[in-house]
Amino acid sequence: MSFLKVLFRNLISGPSTDPFPFGETFTPKALRGRVVYDASKCTSCRTCEQVCIGGAIRFDNTPDGRRFLLWHDTCTFCGLCVFYCPQDALEMTTDWHLSHTQDEKFKMVEHGLMPKAACAACGAEYVAVAPTAKAFAGYEPTPEEVEELRQYCPRCRRKEAAKIAAAHPPAIAADPDTPEQGQS
Amino acid sequence: MSALPADLEPRLRTAAPGGCAFSQTTNARGVTVAWCELADNADLFAAATLLKEMGARLSTISALQPRPPEDDDEDDDDAKAKDAPPPVALSGLPIDGKTYQILYHFDLDGSTLSLSVFLPVDAGTVPSLTPLFRNADWPERELMEIYNLRIVNHPDPRRLFLDESIEPAVLERLIPFSTLVNAASTKSLWEKIIEHKEAES
Amino acid sequence: MSTYTIPVGPLHVALEEPMYFKVEVDGETVRSVDITAGHAHRGVEYLTTKRSIYQNVTLTERICSLCSNSHPEAYCMAIETIAGIELPQRAQYLRVIAGEIKRIASHLFNVAIQAHLVGFDSLFMHVMETREIMQDVKETLFGNRMEIGANTIGGVRFDLDADGLAYLDAQLARLQPILDDIITHYRTNRSFIDRTRGIGVLTHAQALDCGVVGPVARASGIAYDVRVKAPYNAYDRLDVPVQTGTDGDVWSRAIVRLSEARVSIDILRQCAADLPAGETGPRERQIIPAGQTVAKCEAPRGELIYYVKTDGSPNPERVKWRVPSFMNWGALTLMLAEAKVADIALIVNSVDPCISCTER
Repeated sequence: MSFLKVLFRNLISGPSTDPFPFGETFTPKALRGRVVYDASKCTSCRTCEQVCIGGAIRFDNTPDGRRFLLWHDTCTFCGLCVFYCPQDALEMTTDWHLSHTQDEKFKMVEHGLMPKAACAACGAEYVAVAPTAKAFAGYEPTPEEVEELRQYCPRCRRKEAAKIAAAHPPAIAADPDTPEQGQS
Repeated sequence: MSALPADLEPRLRTAAPGGCAFSQTTNARGVTVAWCELADNADLFAAATLLKEMGARLSTISALQPRPPEDDDEDDDDAKAKDAPPPVALSGLPIDGKTYQILYHFDLDGSTLSLSVFLPVDAGTVPSLTPLFRNADWPERELMEIYNLRIVNHPDPRRLFLDESIEPAVLERLIPFSTLVNAASTKSLWEKIIEHKEAES
Repeated sequence: MSTYTIPVGPLHVALEEPMYFKVEVDGETVRSVDITAGHAHRGVEYLTTKRSIYQNVTLTERICSLCSNSHPEAYCMAIETIAGIELPQRAQYLRVIAGEIKRIASHLFNVAIQAHLVGFDSLFMHVMETREIMQDVKETLFGNRMEIGANTIGGVRFDLDADGLAYLDAQLARLQPILDDIITHYRTNRSFIDRTRGIGVLTHAQALDCGVVGPVARASGIAYDVRVKAPYNAYDRLDVPVQTGTDGDVWSRAIVRLSEARVSIDILRQCAADLPAGETGPRERQIIPAGQTVAKCEAPRGELIYYVKTDGSPNPERVKWRVPSFMNWGALTLMLAEAKVADIALIVNSVDPCISCTER
């Protein structure tokens, strides 16, 4: 008999389901949805490709540079790529609107290009992946100093980083305003 | 929770006159994981009987074909390392990636004891533990279908998960669908994705 | 009267998962049962050896959805033991939080289905609606309703700030009175009791003999809970009263699950109160050395045991696990002995079977 109370309460409180698709539905901020990629932050370390169980991530070289591809149709939305990305180049959005027709299936791709460029120092052609603070060997550079390396090829980056590091005696490196680089 | 009985090792040694290698580790929370490798498979049933008497529960049975440890430092031009015989188990069987090892994982009030035996690749048999542990039934049936192992005196040695039409020892022989397609997006799928991408731009 | 054989399954015995029972009946009474498994066999165990140790964290989570957190939990525990990784204090508590949230949702799901099989669909709807509170908690805290992705080797992938803890606390406060009310219904409602008491009995001796685990064992009076017998994570610092029954029938199993869901609320509150500050785990991978170990945890359905062997290479040499359901199927033939045909689905569901887990 006591269950009648539950039924009566339900009658008063109305439906507990969301009115979707005619209204909004519950989408929390932490929802693991469509993955977005920021090529400008990527160092092409391929950690994401290695931890992906679905084989959804692939890097390849094209005439324009190094391309990142993530196929959502084989992505399990586990978020390991985002978790292990040392550069925060990958991010999960709350976009769960991923249903599509069969003929659109090969288009469910997130992609980005790390373009080819000519080195500002030696002129050699290289893939302009994001520079990291690692190149500075011990010295903690400012974001501007890191960014400056982008215009150089990998070899020249090491030289330039060494130059900048040498210009800073260790005491200055402890500047409290210098933001952390999120690196280890 | 309790530690393994102190007399477990001596009692196991008595039950297994063929000899055994016993080791155990206890973590910071007091949980013990112990191993006991038997030299003589004929002692298996007696050792299992002892564990039954001590109130052990059979958790599960694992089998594998242990690989020899790899020499990380030696390069492939070091011929000596290659010719060296593989390490051997207590029973004298080579650990060469073909010999089978069966581990019987027992639970003793929270502690785990893994009793293990080694079997040669084509001639070894072990007795079924179903007379002692009723729940050895399914694990043993599974072992018989995924490996080329024979378990004697099993009351119901039918296939467990695989159909009769499938060749036995799938874990050793069959190329599963997962390998066939590499369990992920295949090369041809990626070609199609790239094709679409290129057509777009 | 002569006996005849009827097929039950492979689809829709209790859940939409495939298991085939060949049942020999004499009139209305079951005389023998033959279980044919294998419809959900996917070779995941083989696949784990072809994938890297880190990829397998996600692969093991995809074995099954209801105990999806327990698989990577036990797997990570095994890898951490092999590599000698000590879990940060905060991560130990956060793992308990993830596990207990999953446990509440899993148990409520099973008892809801039980009400449905009894024919009490209003109760079924009510419990499912209540379970939705925990589904929302999972989605809000972890980003997914089922595959919560909480574990990583060496720690956890989520953290709870003050807002997160306040949200969890508010949802538990919402859930608790409704759950208490639900427990009263399952304990007192005649429609439910009449169909479930004395049905599908597994005696204490039979339970020991079959080596059953989890709520199935505890409903038959076996006070075995991995969280207490072989504590892991923060369970050695938490109060975990083991819930047992005495009758070993369908009803006792439902009550044990409901009581455990209630205990989980208390455990979650203890964790929230005691949550230590600090790190949650590394965001870098490390090389896992060669080694072997056995790790176990208490999944919603009982003891989940992982045997992992590594050889220093990126892929594990062997990963073998045994899910609680694997052991509980064997007991089903005893529970179904002399049962009425109409009770088969009820009894099958009372072991909370998970076929994807069992067959891998």
